[in-house]
Amino acid sequence: MVSDPAIVAAGEWHPPGSSRSQEARLVARDGKLVVLATQGGVPLAEAAPARLAISARVGSIPRRITFPDGSVFETRDNAGIDACLVAQGRRGAGVVHWLEQFRLRLAVIVLVAFVLGGAVYRWGVPALVEVAIWVTPPAVPQLMAKTTMETLDVTAFSPTALAGSRRREIEAGFARIAARSSRGAAAYTLNFCDGGLIGPNAFALPDGTLVVTDQLVEMAGTDTELIVAVLAHEIGHVELEHSLRQLYRAAGMAGLIMLIAGDIGVGVEDILAQGGGLLALSHSRSAEREADRRSVELMAAAGYDPAAIARFFALLEDRLGDRGGATILSTHPDTPERRKAVLDHARRVSEARGTAGP
Amino acid sequence: MSRTDDLRPFGRSGGFHRVAFTGRASEYFGIWIVNVLLTIVTLGIYSAWAKVRRNRYFYGNTVLLGRAFEYHARGLQILVGRVIVLGGFLVLNLLAALLPFLVILPLIVVLVALPWLVARGLRFSARVTSYRNVRFDFVGGAGGAFKAVILGGLLAALSLGILAPLASRWMARYVGANLRYGNRSFDTDPKLGPLYKVWFLSVLLALVGLGLIAALAIANLPLLAALFEAPGILSPGERIPIVLAAIAGYAVLFATFGVVSQFYRAGVRNIVWSATTFDGRHRLASDLSRRRYVWIALSNVIVTIATLGLMRPWAAVRLARYTWEHTGVTFDGDVGEIFDTIRQEGSAIGAEFMDLEGIEFGF
Repeated sequence: MVSDPAIVAAGEWHPPGSSRSQEARLVARDGKLVVLATQGGVPLAEAAPARLAISARVGSIPRRITFPDGSVFETRDNAGIDACLVAQGRRGAGVVHWLEQFRLRLAVIVLVAFVLGGAVYRWGVPALVEVAIWVTPPAVPQLMAKTTMETLDVTAFSPTALAGSRRREIEAGFARIAARSSRGAAAYTLNFCDGGLIGPNAFALPDGTLVVTDQLVEMAGTDTELIVAVLAHEIGHVELEHSLRQLYRAAGMAGLIMLIAGDIGVGVEDILAQGGGLLALSHSRSAEREADRRSVELMAAAGYDPAAIARFFALLEDRLGDRGGATILSTHPDTPERRKAVLDHARRVSEARGTAGP
Repeated sequence: MSRTDDLRPFGRSGGFHRVAFTGRASEYFGIWIVNVLLTIVTLGIYSAWAKVRRNRYFYGNTVLLGRAFEYHARGLQILVGRVIVLGGFLVLNLLAALLPFLVILPLIVVLVALPWLVARGLRFSARVTSYRNVRFDFVGGAGGAFKAVILGGLLAALSLGILAPLASRWMARYVGANLRYGNRSFDTDPKLGPLYKVWFLSVLLALVGLGLIAALAIANLPLLAALFEAPGILSPGERIPIVLAAIAGYAVLFATFGVVSQFYRAGVRNIVWSATTFDGRHRLASDLSRRRYVWIALSNVIVTIATLGLMRPWAAVRLARYTWEHTGVTFDGDVGEIFDTIRQEGSAIGAEFMDLEGIEFGF
């Protein structure tokens, strides 16, 4: 080695496409890189540096240098190859490898990665969700609603058994609040049906179709205002596009996990997906609270009792013995808490109207 | 004399040679975190290049007879393949969403395309892998993939797992018998007997886990019964033990699934690799301890989560080291002479650029 000052690295040389190899040295000579057999010093391959394909450095795995004739020189002497590259005015091991080394600066990279990852989660995904909602053509929620409705009609619902006069009362109240919605009354259609096993319930589909079950109307007794308040809550879900938002958020979280955690192992990925599910439930609870507040505002705007939906919660607590206990596994916040939040918000809305109104 | 007379790799004799893994957690940590950072900064585009650096590191540290394996895929190639597959998937779903009568279309296309993608993916993985300057290749077609993946998966699922060893055997034969290294081929024929033995032990393990969950349910039976009779009758305070028990039961279920699948996986790997031959006379071997493998996989997950992912590089290197150091080859004859005669077949090199990465299948 000492006898030859131009030596770059020691390694093994393969003829083109062969697994045969022999020990050899890479030497810089007359502006060319030459492979010499270790035994006998026979030249095996040579080329100008610019015509060689030299594999990029990754950790300390062997480097591979491919000659124009297809023969290959492989060496573990990364330092020798990097020095040779630098001598030719190239970048040596490269920026990425420089970043990757286990030095103190890596702590900065860890920190930046955590902060950026957090930022993507906190702002990036919500922003993408907004963009996705903005570009979604109206045909998509309509289609979603249509398939859901067809499924429910087949599996659970049967035609309503309510008296026509009762339906007209509710429809009149519904028209009053729907007119106050940002989308206008034309954006909504109200359906009555027998909920069967689903029981007392009301829900909204993303295209503005609202469904209220006979069982809910019966539970409310003569209190039409209460039913209208529940429908205002459902209008809130439609206005705030909760179902589409939930869909996109789930997709965004799945994408984020796949991307950032590209190499986090199957087990951890599964657990993260479970965490994503818990997160979706927490979003579902906050969506319910938003819709509750929207009910209060719509009811106030239409001249109803703003806190009418609180009577519905009281009814739930009474009839179904629902005394609450929401956990991280619940889709809805607990009922007493919702009732209290509604009453608080109703007070604020009334005060605001009292000072700003005529 | 002619140059070729000197072309002896080394004078090692035949016999059993273990694979070594020379990767280090501290070294891989830098590669890993830079991959994560650049992937975030580029909104995911860099993930294709990240995969290349990751695989080059792991292949390049997997050493047999003093020489490492090599991974040759390039980032752009992987990115293009991913964009094509993802784009096809999106177009398909959009079509199905907008034209209701095409609702079944994605299912049909997936059934037809999946085997093709699997075959393509395996070929890609093989062709971008080399050892001693010679590439691997994969010659299996979509028909074989249909039997191994879809039919095997379906049989295993429909029989509630009873036919899983049969599916494992089909998959092993599909991969093993179609794998090539230069101008030589691999072959494998794992027997059903040993596969069923591992399967039986896995079922016993699963029963232990399910028993634990049943015990949890029985311990909470009075409360559960009350919950079913009148939902809402329990006060929030009374619900806490039920919620805790539900979470514990869920965790046990998850852990059981993990333990059983890793146990079965290690067992099948041992059987399949040890039933594999190269060029008809060199025997591959795998002697993982199933218990140790499960322990490593499970503790890896726990440590990774407890350190917010920062110990993931350590976990990955740890598992790779254990797996490869329990893998080996028994060479029949002088190793130098064996590798003297192996040559690259024309098709494997270059043709890879026409390949899709398809569905990821590592070796």
